Amino acid sequence: MNDRALHATDELLDAINAAYADDWPAEFTDAYAVMECLGEGQGCDTFLVQDPEGNDFVAKRYDKAVWSIDLSCNILKALDHPAVPQHVASYEGESCAVAVRTYIEGVPLDRYVRENDLSEQDIASITAKLCDVLAYLHHRPEPIIHRDIKPQNVIVRPDGSVALIDFDIARTYNAARESDTVFFGTRAYAAPEQYGFSQTDARSDIYSLGVLLRYLLTGSPRENRNVRVYRPLEKIIARATAFDPERRYDDVDQVKKALLSANPKSQGLRIAGLIAAIIAALALLSFAGFQAYKAVTWSPFNSDAIPAVLNDEERVADAVAFMQDRHGTHLFDNADDTATVGLLRQTLIECYGLDRDYVYGSQEEGLPGESDEFFMPWGWDDGQTVRKETAVYAAVKVHDPSLVAEDQWSKLPDDNGEYPGARVAMMFAEDAGILTGANQPYDISVGELALIFANADRVFEAATSARF
Amino acid sequence: MGSEKGISTGELWARLFKTPSIGSYLDENSGTTLPSFADYIAQLSDERALKHETVIARAGVERSFGHRLFNGTRNPSRDTVLQLALGLGLGCDESQQLLKVAGMSPLHPKVKRDAVVAYCLHNGRTLMDAQELLYENGLPLLGGAKHE
Repeated sequence: MNDRALHATDELLDAINAAYADDWPAEFTDAYAVMECLGEGQGCDTFLVQDPEGNDFVAKRYDKAVWSIDLSCNILKALDHPAVPQHVASYEGESCAVAVRTYIEGVPLDRYVRENDLSEQDIASITAKLCDVLAYLHHRPEPIIHRDIKPQNVIVRPDGSVALIDFDIARTYNAARESDTVFFGTRAYAAPEQYGFSQTDARSDIYSLGVLLRYLLTGSPRENRNVRVYRPLEKIIARATAFDPERRYDDVDQVKKALLSANPKSQGLRIAGLIAAIIAALALLSFAGFQAYKAVTWSPFNSDAIPAVLNDEERVADAVAFMQDRHGTHLFDNADDTATVGLLRQTLIECYGLDRDYVYGSQEEGLPGESDEFFMPWGWDDGQTVRKETAVYAAVKVHDPSLVAEDQWSKLPDDNGEYPGARVAMMFAEDAGILTGANQPYDISVGELALIFANADRVFEAATSARF
Repeated sequence: MGSEKGISTGELWARLFKTPSIGSYLDENSGTTLPSFADYIAQLSDERALKHETVIARAGVERSFGHRLFNGTRNPSRDTVLQLALGLGLGCDESQQLLKVAGMSPLHPKVKRDAVVAYCLHNGRTLMDAQELLYENGLPLLGGAKHE
């Protein structure tokens, strides 16, 4: 090694060693190396630290001159949820207290929203996920109010789930206290009562959640009348951020429900939807019934038939649960498996009460044979995979045979090689939203089969109740 | 506290950096668009008449990974950014800018490991010098080597 007097009597190097000598409790420095400063606050800094195996953790260092007790430890110790960090250890030094927690890998929401082009639907979905985390905190026997909900404290994990960090100032709700004496929180996101005129409760977090939703949609936590926000979401923001806590949502579950029934998808289609609704209403008045739906574009989202803000994975899980609730079936439990014609037949028999002979018929395999005695268009083998249009055809036909009967699938194919019945079913399904989340073009999975049937159930149910 | 140590971390930082305050680094208007990391390291290499190959070697970065950094197909970790800063022979302020372009947290006066790296950057030391100093101080080496 060259000897360029790397550290011979280097005053600056001595100064470095001296300056950091008793910065941290000795037991802490034995266990962890400080790698990065992630954030600075009033008497409390956050660091990325590493154990000897190279695993990342987060350490909060509280200056004892500013902080008398360590709030963070106690709160995190009581929590056990994948969306919040876990307490690892705490250390006492002469001048500071240190709390170590698990490191949550991912991207802070403020960066995530800048780096990704998020649709209103994505944003509503992220906010709804955050509602679940807050529900866990708020619904504990001793509710925990986070009080510093802001994009920087929400981590979007690589798998798309969200986590909430920075529980410094979160504390259990003490109903006996009149008001909070010290200001905690981040100004733009903090509810008015956090400035001290009354005790904060779960509704303070709901306020911050509303501000966060506004930030995600408009790029700013502050109200800006020049930026148009999709109205149903704007309404949610307005109610969540009402000055008077009494006028806000009482509970995050209500916020979540509102988010799920808001329909960000139809924003561009609202006028078209309105016209369609008028035509549909006129058509219904003339007792044209379901046939009217062939003629008009009808969005089931308008009547909340199908949850609007779910990603495809959540949709499948939701549909499997729906089928289990509605029909008491476990047929769809292995959602990742490939669906078979046998399963499709079982579904029709078990869930929709079709007669076994009607579903199986006596047709020979491979022959067209749809008739009054035979539900299925072809004599498929039970082990065959299910094409999407087969599932859709069955799901539509089981609810209203009149939609497809006149164009039986098994009639001879048209010039394009398509079977007219299947085409009618697919067109109807697309208009009505039955295909929502079913993205596989050909052979579908068990989960997607559940999805198609669940969507059809919901659409027909919504349409039936709308008729009367 | 500071008087007992003779020199505070703030003063220390002032001696290592032209812009001593971490705040001035963070507050610089975020509205201006930053160059891509790949473009920026290419530009810095050109300014110093250094071949990419040379920078990669001096930064102690695996060769093919280094080239991917230069053509923008891979993103660096914070340690890799610091290695490249040493490989490029950047000063402290330039290194902070490089970290910023990479979207990484800056060298921070409250982190001793950062101070040691800043010291090496300030004095134009090599990567090997920096690793030796880190090792002697019981700090994790740059580039993911486990510390003891």
